[in-house]
Amino acid sequence: MAAEFHLEVLASDRVFYTGPCESVTIPALDGELGVLAGHSELVTAIEPGMLRFRVPGEPEPRIGAVGAGFAHVNGDRVWVLVETAERPEEIDEARARRAYEQAQEELRQRKGMQEYRLTQANLARAMNRLKVKRGERF
Amino acid sequence: MANAREIKSRIKSIQDTKKITTAMYLIASTRLRKAKQSLDATRPYFTSLQTALSRLIRHMPEVESIYLGTGSYTDNGLMRRGYLVITADKGLAGAYNNNIQREVLRQIKAMAGPWELYVVGECGRQFFQHHGYKIEETFHYTAQNPTIDRARHIASVLLERYRAGALDEIYIAYTDMENSVTATPRFFKLAPLEKGYFRPMEMDEDGYGESCEFMPGLTELVNRMIPDIIAGYIYSALVDSYCAEQNARMMAMDAANRNAEEMLAELSVSYNRMRQTAITQEITEISGGARAQKQKQVSRRERV
Repeated sequence: MAAEFHLEVLASDRVFYTGPCESVTIPALDGELGVLAGHSELVTAIEPGMLRFRVPGEPEPRIGAVGAGFAHVNGDRVWVLVETAERPEEIDEARARRAYEQAQEELRQRKGMQEYRLTQANLARAMNRLKVKRGERF
Repeated sequence: MANAREIKSRIKSIQDTKKITTAMYLIASTRLRKAKQSLDATRPYFTSLQTALSRLIRHMPEVESIYLGTGSYTDNGLMRRGYLVITADKGLAGAYNNNIQREVLRQIKAMAGPWELYVVGECGRQFFQHHGYKIEETFHYTAQNPTIDRARHIASVLLERYRAGALDEIYIAYTDMENSVTATPRFFKLAPLEKGYFRPMEMDEDGYGESCEFMPGLTELVNRMIPDIIAGYIYSALVDSYCAEQNARMMAMDAANRNAEEMLAELSVSYNRMRQTAITQEITEISGGARAQKQKQVSRRERV
């Protein structure tokens, strides 16, 4: 049995998960970052992507689509602070697809810097939702 | 003096109005509860975020960011200030709107230098427009339904101006519901955030160890965190104001209900009195008439 540590995944509108965990894979800026118990202290930014974590006693890892945010690793405790977090079954694929198409459409129309950034963030979120929903690994 | 029918219709109209104010009271209390719940749901996230940032700042007190204030600045009268004012979409909430608008005007007058107004809520928009203040942007449909996405949107609009150098400081004016009786208009400087803002949490845990790794870089992390914190602050201010608004409306409607009760009591007394007077008068008339008839008969009999 792998060593356990305490994981808290906090989204801006709810508490996604809090409890024991064996390993967590975080979508960091420069690729995925796996964390096991006893990891050295670390603070990292998170990109929209797939978060995976193993809960002791469960055969399959739990999966969540997360938005941008931060992770803070401190030995036996890990905090994941993200703007959104959703389970695959909570994602509405049709809605994510619409958001994806709309964002792409908006990117094509040239707009101000601020709109551009917002749209890009929307696009990243929509793509991420679709990815997680379809269970793709990347 | 009004006749009975007029009083009756007056009573009816007051009863109808009272139905409306009672309904509004109930609606306000439900909304208040809902808003409080959604605020509670976001609290763990923002407290953790603030703790994380205050640790970062403690780890590197000399960290510099455009979002962080040094605490010392000179007001040369050229500071460009942005005010985000949170008002309600609707009136009928006692002095709620009025208080915050007055506070903003006072602040604008007290501070020298140019300013820009950003208004949430229809009441505020109309007020400032009516009084000839230029509004930079209004955020529609936000006061009624505060969500974190809306707050993020507002933050991005304001911070865009800030990053572009068009604003030197950003303030938020909102109403803080201290408890169910008092609500105070508040001012808070959103940007640059004073480092002192993060101090109060110092007691909970110590800072990062020497070996702590930061990806990507400390300044970059701080720059990514602060807009989120600002959005979080805006969100909680939106919800706080919304709660205060609903609470003010509850109190206003409660007062209206009580006034209606009072008026109804008064009116029903005068209605009853009037009815009684009418009845008495009728009886007097009838008995007077009867007596007159009787006397007539008696006198006729006497004559015969």
